[in-house]
Order: sequence, then C-alpha cells, then structure tokens
Amino acid sequence: MEETPVDFLSIPVSTGTTILACAYRTGVVLAADSRTSTGAYVANRASDKITQICDNVWMCRSGSAADTQNVAAYVKRMVEEHAMERNGTGFRENESNDRAMMVDVRVVAKLTQKIAYENKEKLQAGMIIAGWDRVRGPQVYGIPLGGSMLEAPFSVSGSGSAYIYGYLDNTYKENMEREECEKWMTEAISLAIARDASSGGVIRLVTIHENGCEKQCVLPKDHKVCDGELEQVATTTTAMV
Amino acid sequence: MRLLNALTLIILLTYKAMCGHECVAIASDNRLGINQQQTTAIDFQKIFQIHPRLFLAMSGLASDMHTLKATFEFKHKLYELRENRVMEPKTFASVVSTTLYEKRFGPYYVEPVIAGLDKASKPYITGMDLIGAAAPTENFVVAGNNSESLFGVCESMYKENLEPEELFEVISQCLLSGSGRDCLSGWGGTVYVITKDGVEVKSVKGRMD
Amino acid sequence: MQDPDAFDLGGFEFSASSHNAKEGGFTSKLATKTGTTISGVIYADGVVLGADTRSTNGETVADKNCEKIHYIAPNIYCCGAGTAADTEAVTGTYYVYFSIFQLILILKGMVSSALFLHRKSTLRESRVVSAQSILKSHLFKYQGHVGAALVLGGFDIHGPQLFTVYPHGSSDCLPYATMGSGSLAAMSIFESDYKDGMSEDEAKLLVARSIRAGIFNDLGSGSNIDLCVLSRAGTKYLRNFEIPQERTYIRAEGYKFKTGTTVINKRNFQTATSTTTEPKKIL
Repeated sequence: MEETPVDFLSIPVSTGTTILACAYRTGVVLAADSRTSTGAYVANRASDKITQICDNVWMCRSGSAADTQNVAAYVKRMVEEHAMERNGTGFRENESNDRAMMVDVRVVAKLTQKIAYENKEKLQAGMIIAGWDRVRGPQVYGIPLGGSMLEAPFSVSGSGSAYIYGYLDNTYKENMEREECEKWMTEAISLAIARDASSGGVIRLVTIHENGCEKQCVLPKDHKVCDGELEQVATTTTAMV
Repeated sequence: MRLLNALTLIILLTYKAMCGHECVAIASDNRLGINQQQTTAIDFQKIFQIHPRLFLAMSGLASDMHTLKATFEFKHKLYELRENRVMEPKTFASVVSTTLYEKRFGPYYVEPVIAGLDKASKPYITGMDLIGAAAPTENFVVAGNNSESLFGVCESMYKENLEPEELFEVISQCLLSGSGRDCLSGWGGTVYVITKDGVEVKSVKGRMD
Repeated sequence: MQDPDAFDLGGFEFSASSHNAKEGGFTSKLATKTGTTISGVIYADGVVLGADTRSTNGETVADKNCEKIHYIAPNIYCCGAGTAADTEAVTGTYYVYFSIFQLILILKGMVSSALFLHRKSTLRESRVVSAQSILKSHLFKYQGHVGAALVLGGFDIHGPQLFTVYPHGSSDCLPYATMGSGSLAAMSIFESDYKDGMSEDEAKLLVARSIRAGIFNDLGSGSNIDLCVLSRAGTKYLRNFEIPQERTYIRAEGYKFKTGTTVINKRNFQTATSTTTEPKKIL
C-alpha cells in the first residue's frame, strides 16, 4: 500500500503539546495550545487539552490522546464516586447557590498518579492536575511519564515545554495576581508555539478560584509575536475556537 | 522439522457467484494442492449446500473450510429446528460474518462467498474477507487465489438479467478463461445454477493440468 | 485500568492464533481495508456525513460500490475507515423483513445493538455521546488492534453533533471532520470553504465536494458519493448521491455464448422439494 503522511491506522494520535499550570495568590491557571497531530498531520487544530475532573479540579493532558482521554475519564468517574460516597460533604454552596462538587485536589492528583504508575509500561501520558480547595488553597501537581507526582508552584509538560523552561524559571514571581499570571502564561505558550512544530493553534486558559472556574481562549492573532513570524491571517470562521 | 498436518494443505481455487434473472450461479474449480505446487485432489468440493436455495463456497485452508462447513451446517440445523423454516441468505451471511469475526485476532484462513435465493426468489450474493467483512453486490463476486483475472473476465462477460441457460454459459466461460492462466487452479469445474424450481449441478470440462 | 491478567477478551476467540503462528503465519490472505475518504460537517440545523464507495484489497478494488456510512441508531450514523470487518463489527447494520406473521429485524454490530436495547429499556432517543463513549472504550481496550477510524454524527436532544474516533481510542468533537487515506484532500475543501450556519443544501454540496476531492486525488478512494443528512426533521440516507465517474469500458451488446459452448461432463438436476439430500457428487 502507498505511504501517506497521515497513517491514521498505525500512528497513534498524540498531543505534541505545550501545557502549563501555575498557582497565583488566590487560585490556579491552566494553559494549553490546541494542536493534535498524527505524525506530520494536524488531526485537530482546535482541540481542548484541559479537561474538567470536577468543579474545582482540572487536568492538562499531553502525550497519547487516547491514553490521556481515557485516563481522564477514568479519574473523573472515580472522583465522582468518591464525592458521592462522602455523602454531600464534598458539596459547598457557591455564590450563585449552585451546589458545586468540591474534591480535595491532592486526592485527585494521587488517584491520577496511581493510575499512571500502575500502568506506566502501557501509558504514554504526561498530565498536570491543578485546582483549588479550601484546605490547601491553589495547588499544582505534575504527573510526568513514569507516574511520579510533584507538587510545584507551576508545572510545564509536553514537547513544547523544553523551549520555555528557562523563560519560566527566569520570570516566575510568587503571589502573582490573576491577570498578571494569565498574561505571563499566555506569553509562555506563545513562545513555545513559535518554536515547537507540534504545538500550535489557539491558547486555551482555565482559571480556578474560590468561586468557581472560567474558560478563556486566545486567538492566534492575539498571540505575542516573538521572532518576526508572519502575522496570522484572520480566518473566515470561529467555529473551531 | 516440518509438521505434516492438515495445516500444510492449502486449497487453491477460483470460483464465482453471479446474479441472474431469478437465478444464481456459483462455480468453482476442482483442484486441491499441498504447499500450492503439488496437486493432491482433483475432485475437491469447495461449494456446499446449506439448503436447496442457499450455497456457501469457500477458498483457503482446507481444514478451516471443513471446520466452518460443519459449524454452519450445525448452526443452520439448529435454526431450522427452532424456527421451523430455513435461513434467508442475508441472515446466513450475517451468521457467517459474526462467526468469522469471533476469530478476529486468530482468523480462519478462508474467503467465503454466499449465493442464494430468498423467499421472494430474489437473488442474493455476497463475498467476504477472512474476518467477515461482507460485501454484498448486485452482479458478481469472485474469490480465491486468482481473483484478479477473474475480476477482469467477469467485468466484460457479465450481463444483467440473464436466463439460467445463458448464466451457466457465462459463468463457465468466466471460470475457464479466468483460471486458464493460473497454475494453481484447474482440473475442470463444478457449476451450480440455482433457480426457484431447483438446483442444476454441472461438471464442466477443463484442462487437466 | 485493566488488570492484564483479567483482560476481557470481549467475545473474541484466540484459539487458532497459536497454530497459525506455528506455521509461520499465512500471508496470502489479506483483510479488506477501506482506503477511504469520509467526512462530516455540522450545518445550521443538522449534520451531513459523506463517504466514497471504494473498498480495496491490496491494490485491487474489492468492491466498487460498498456502503461506508453505517447505521447506529435512527438519529445517529457513522462513517467507517480502516479494516472493513472492524468498522462493520463495531458500528452496525440492520435489515428488516416482512414475514407473513411478523416483522423481523436483524441487527448486527456492537454499538447499534447496545443502543437498541438501551432505547427499548429507557424509551428515550439514543444520544450521540453514548455511541461515542462505547466506541472509545472498546477501541481503547484493543489498543489500536481493532482498526476502525470513524466519523460519528447524529442529532439528539443537544442538537447536531460530530465526532471523530481514532483506532487507538481517542476522539475529537469538531464542526467539520475528515478521516481515511483521503482525509487530507477532503480537509482542504473544508478549510477553504466551511462557513458557520450553512443551509442543508450548502452543507450537502460541501461534503460531496470534499469526498470528490478524495475520490480524484487519493488512490485508495473512488467510485461514488454517499451522503447522510441527520436533523430534527429526521434522517435521509442518500445512497449514490453523486456518480462522478460512470464506467466506460462496457461493451454495449455484451458477449453472447451459444447454449452448448461449454463442454459438460455430467449434469444432475435436483428439484426444490427434494430437500434433504445434497446433490449427488457427480465426479
């Protein structure tokens, strides 16, 4: 059979990625690019690599799309069962009086780590768990390839992370305010997108704080121009965003 | 050491099923070879009757063919006992397909073809790959080791709405000319013409080499 | 995650694998793969799915007019690329017979059967995400060995939805999607001409155009265009919506063989009523 650049049957779909999560003074921000590739082909240019686990905890996924999507689904189910077993104590009233399902962030991270470690031979998954809870406040846990778990003020992963480690270490500030943190992270992902062939598309942001969470999306035209790249031509559609 | 068991038998054949006017024909050659080259049998049956209006033909590994023949006969007999009627060709194709797909990761080495008339005497033919991907068609199906040349002759010789007599001539000529250039097929052929009145079996003369 | 010792074989049977392997494996038989162009798009009030109709076996065209848009539920259909048997087995097909006394339904395929039973038990319309999650978990369990690459589309309580599902068990939710060996050609059409909120006719023409791009630019894709429109108003399966290339090599008058052309050694006629015995072996 002829070889095609997109051998969709044998090359697994992977999120050659840049993902980043960081704690600010009163919450956490998760950020990711939106490129999903199959070999050299962009299988999805507007994917969402930030997955909700419960109301106060989200996950950034990198590595094999199949592995991370299924691990996320599995963790989500276990966390839901865990919250239900606690018989309502996991719920809290938020401002709009909705009953939100709050789970200890560390518990979610530990569950994810357990799955990653027990299946480390089979999984190709680098994940970041981030969230806010009343006991420990904003938290970020990195769960890299072998299934370890590292709590850190910020955590980066994916193929694009190598390009921005130095930048992040150099410019990170403790106790940032929300806007400052979001701007800093958007800029970091822009830098990775500019240099990493397997990161691209829009920048997605999720901010989690005491009163809930918000999603944001930064279009390519609003990315920081880093090295005189061609300016992004506006597309006719926003459907993929 | 090479084990001499049933697995080393590979039957090589060419056969086809063609749709006609309220009739269906199915044909095969008669050769069976070991290790492809050595002719072992020249009267090898590759077409099996499930009921008078439904036939199953298989190419591939002889031992798997016989296993499957027994399996399908068994399944059809159970169905007949339970339902008090015979299987429609489509139903039978479904049974064949699921039986083959059960062994998706350790398949039977056969390529089956099903030909039959349904209750309304409408012809139905379908080919399948070794893991049960059915491809029902309206005109002709070929399978076996020389299917490429059979495709060629069938594409040009087949016509729609053939009467049984004509259909027999067409399918026989397709079989003979399609397998004439194939070392591994031959030794005459067997042709079944299935109409609503009955089945005619003809032994067709071919080159015996 | 699955305990490897308790790995669920899920209905598959491996007993022939060892003796097949002992003989060095047989390479003569190839499973039919569908070198394919399939695509789908969401429009103002529904989804349009499209597929070519060529199925291949190595370099030979195995079927010139196969159906690649598979039934899942009345409001959900699925285009399949990859190993033909796998796409058929995981999605579904159905036939309906009218016998004298009853209506007989034959339903085949994993997801269509599961959703059928679920509908009968809940008395509610099937949802696209149900199909998506069943497919995903099945394909993930087999780690890419079940080679089904799918474009899943449907219309349910949440409106029109479109997913791609990859053989390794990942999925994407998109406004327009393509799959198969012709997916690059098809995607180029969508990337240049997709608009938000298209009408049904616009969407149908766009999908047909994307499939045509696959048919003419990808060797594994060919023959005709099938479409399927799913909307609140119901489902329309447009078989052979477009036939871009009629066959040209047919001899108008055909070939005629006089009766008696073929030399017959022996013959035997069995009437339809003499059912119990096989036709006498005549050689």
